[in-house]
Amino acid sequence: MLAKRNMKSNELAEIIDITPANLSILKSGKAKAVRFSTLEAICKALDCQPADILEYVED
Amino acid sequence: MKDNTQILSIITYVVLLASVSILLNDMREFDFNQFKAFQNWAKIANKSDSWFTSQNVIQWSYYAISAGLFFWRGYLIYGFTYFLCILKEVENGNFFSENNIKYFKKIGDIFICYTINVSVLRFLLATVGTSTFNVFNLLKTEISILIPCGLGFYLLAEIFKRGKEAEEENELTI
Repeated sequence: MLAKRNMKSNELAEIIDITPANLSILKSGKAKAVRFSTLEAICKALDCQPADILEYVED
Repeated sequence: MKDNTQILSIITYVVLLASVSILLNDMREFDFNQFKAFQNWAKIANKSDSWFTSQNVIQWSYYAISAGLFFWRGYLIYGFTYFLCILKEVENGNFFSENNIKYFKKIGDIFICYTINVSVLRFLLATVGTSTFNVFNLLKTEISILIPCGLGFYLLAEIFKRGKEAEEENELTI
């Protein structure tokens, strides 16, 4: 989604006001949970729906 | 928080120093008074007696057990030094650190090991006839205080383990 919007991770981190390290945790799937406010900010910044950035993967 | 941990550290240092000085004093008294009695006995003892049936075995058992009791008391004091490590971690803001969990487990281990070993040694001391062993006295002192304390520290270790997991989960909620 970042590539589609031609946006860098650092730029997104700055827009949604989280650290690049936390964005990296989100991207790698290591995060235990995501706040609605963070999800909302990401969707707003990337102009997309939560389903576009979330994916269910069976363990 | 820093002031509180510093006060607690000072109290722990005072307790440790007092315990070490009491232990060293007991060891000094043990050497000067009781060992002398054994030396006097050794001078007049019948050397032709067989070793195992002689009083020699009993006396040396007594000294070995007494040395064991001193060792375990020292080990208990060593256990108290872990409180300083925990206070240091808390002072640095690492409340639910892996080290704190380890230290609580170690303190629990030391309290329970001390109680079991000292109880066994006191029982053995009574069997060599140099002291009176009373189960009720034992229940009043070590078993009733240190075993629950030891179990309490195991419980604290478990609580801190859960705390660490919750802290990690909280940090990974973005």
